[in-house]
Amino acid sequence: MSEIVNHLALGFGVAVSPTNLLLCLIGALVGTLVGVLPGIGTIATVAMLLPITFGLPPVGALIMLAGIYYGAQYGGSTTSILVNIPGEAGSVVTTLDGHQMAKQGRAGPALAIAAIGSFFAGCVATVLIALLGAPLTKLALQFGPAEYFSLMTLGLVFAVVLAKGSVLKAIAMIVFGLLLSMVGSDLETGASRMAFNIPELADGLGFATVAMGIFGFAEIIRNLDAGAEQGRELVQKKVTGLMPTKADLIASTPAILRGTVLGSILGILPGGGAVIASFAAYTFEKKISKDPSQFGKGAIAGVAAPESANNAAAQTSFIPLLTLGIPPNAVMALMVGAMTIHGIVPGPQVMQKQPDLVWGMIASMWIGNLMLLIINLPMVGIWVRLLRVPYHLLFPCIVVFCSIGIYSVNNAPADVIMTGAFGLVGYWLIKHDFEPAPLLLGMVLGPLMEENLRRAMLISRGDWMVFVQRPLSAVLLAIAAALLVLTLLPMLKRKREEVFVESEN
Amino acid sequence: MSDSGARAGDGARKGFIKGPQDFWGGVALAALALFAFWASSDLPGMRGFSFGPGTAPRLFAGLLLLLGIAIAFTGLMTDGAGLQRYHFRGPFFVTIAVLLFAFTIRPLGLVLTTFACFMIAAMGSPEQRWVQTTIVGIAITAFCCVLFPYILGLPFQFWPMFLIR
Repeated sequence: MSEIVNHLALGFGVAVSPTNLLLCLIGALVGTLVGVLPGIGTIATVAMLLPITFGLPPVGALIMLAGIYYGAQYGGSTTSILVNIPGEAGSVVTTLDGHQMAKQGRAGPALAIAAIGSFFAGCVATVLIALLGAPLTKLALQFGPAEYFSLMTLGLVFAVVLAKGSVLKAIAMIVFGLLLSMVGSDLETGASRMAFNIPELADGLGFATVAMGIFGFAEIIRNLDAGAEQGRELVQKKVTGLMPTKADLIASTPAILRGTVLGSILGILPGGGAVIASFAAYTFEKKISKDPSQFGKGAIAGVAAPESANNAAAQTSFIPLLTLGIPPNAVMALMVGAMTIHGIVPGPQVMQKQPDLVWGMIASMWIGNLMLLIINLPMVGIWVRLLRVPYHLLFPCIVVFCSIGIYSVNNAPADVIMTGAFGLVGYWLIKHDFEPAPLLLGMVLGPLMEENLRRAMLISRGDWMVFVQRPLSAVLLAIAAALLVLTLLPMLKRKREEVFVESEN
Repeated sequence: MSDSGARAGDGARKGFIKGPQDFWGGVALAALALFAFWASSDLPGMRGFSFGPGTAPRLFAGLLLLLGIAIAFTGLMTDGAGLQRYHFRGPFFVTIAVLLFAFTIRPLGLVLTTFACFMIAAMGSPEQRWVQTTIVGIAITAFCCVLFPYILGLPFQFWPMFLIR
């Protein structure tokens, strides 16, 4: 226990330095901005800001990028409630009850509960990271290549199980990502693979390049299709009376608790993340409610639970990254990119060799959450006014920022061209209902998986049985197989779709 | 990306292919997998029990081929969504803007490139009003010229090469 206190003390010592406080604030504000504005996702923003972090010290860079991620979860809820537009995928379900509350003149309590729930979830998640960090790191140090390979397989299976829509298509996207990660030089022999003697491809496809193309440009093009000006009806009434009533508090307290627990668990699981967590928390809350008919008509529990869940998940998804070095979702995959830029290889070693970095980031999350709570409620008016910026002026700005951002990663025009090409690939994927998130995860895990697979096979002298003979690896693979079978069973598949359809309407 | 069948989607149309969206999606992935097979065919494979550089790419390409075929088969056999409409304007102008940026940033410098990229991207939406867009374009250009080279300290050249020399 005292160990944890020491760690957190060290972390807070790092996090309260003026520079880091400022960076934390900037991250949280940029995150809120991104969360408020529809049409720019967290992934694209983090990718866009990667080059900016070059000049910063590693701790500061990570603190800022983390701030963007959880800040976006906050900001998304504001627009969901006031405008009925989720600024962020994680807040889609918040629109259901949040906007209804706003229509009934109770926007204030809805915003307050969303913020309080998020803050509470953020606190719990911070403690959870501190608690689980050390033991998981010890476990991770015992992992051999076979275990790592099995764990990553499990992670990819989770990504498939939790993805929306067809299982087959989700698996195909992962394999597509794995295949893309093979482009470039082979790690062991240095042989050039599928690079067609193009010098720009010799180093492989940049992760930020693909992410920005598929999540940034493709998203813009898609929005242009739809004619993005539709339906921005602001609730014009002034937001008065932020304080929730006693009845509100009683109704939302258990929902916040349940949302936090569910979100924390789903965040840790590979393939999960904020979006899934908020959907799951809403559905769960509706299932166990005594009066489910209230949901969709302004039930405060329907705001409290998903908002707590997405914030908890946004933070706990750092656990697998920091302890095992495995990014559980696309945003964390970009964090790996940020760490690599600064010469840090995420994994158990970081926890031991650079404790100030890890604990500083964890402590900053708590501080960032506090900042968001204080900043966000008084600033609601400003954020809402930002929504009046019409999309036809906003999107060219995003195109310009993305282009400059990608160019400055390597000062390479070829990267920009590649991003444009992946924008079209992403557009095609959207049109064919393929989900891009698993692709990104596959692309990040590809080189890690190949390396560990090769090592495991080398150590076992080509015996594939090694994956089932080592107990830890066997357990992980068994879980993965069981999950896959469960999802593929048509009965359960139908149910799974119901869950999403229900929560989306 | 160049699906010949980029027609207006209507799910009710029942042809030989019952779910065109999945069918063409699967076919394209399978084609991509075959391409990857061809592209990695020059790489050495397994040597004894150790992997060669070509093993993993071919392994993944094989998997993708199987999955692509399976998806296409599902699209063939079961009713599914039709092809969605492809729009031309948005993708065209955004792509042109990005390509223009890539080709002009070195020779023309940050100021002209940023402004041109903004204006061309803006053409992607039919709702532009030119005066307004131009003003915002100038503002963004100025903002980028302060933010990236000065505040963030990234090496950018402002004006075209031929003007400097």
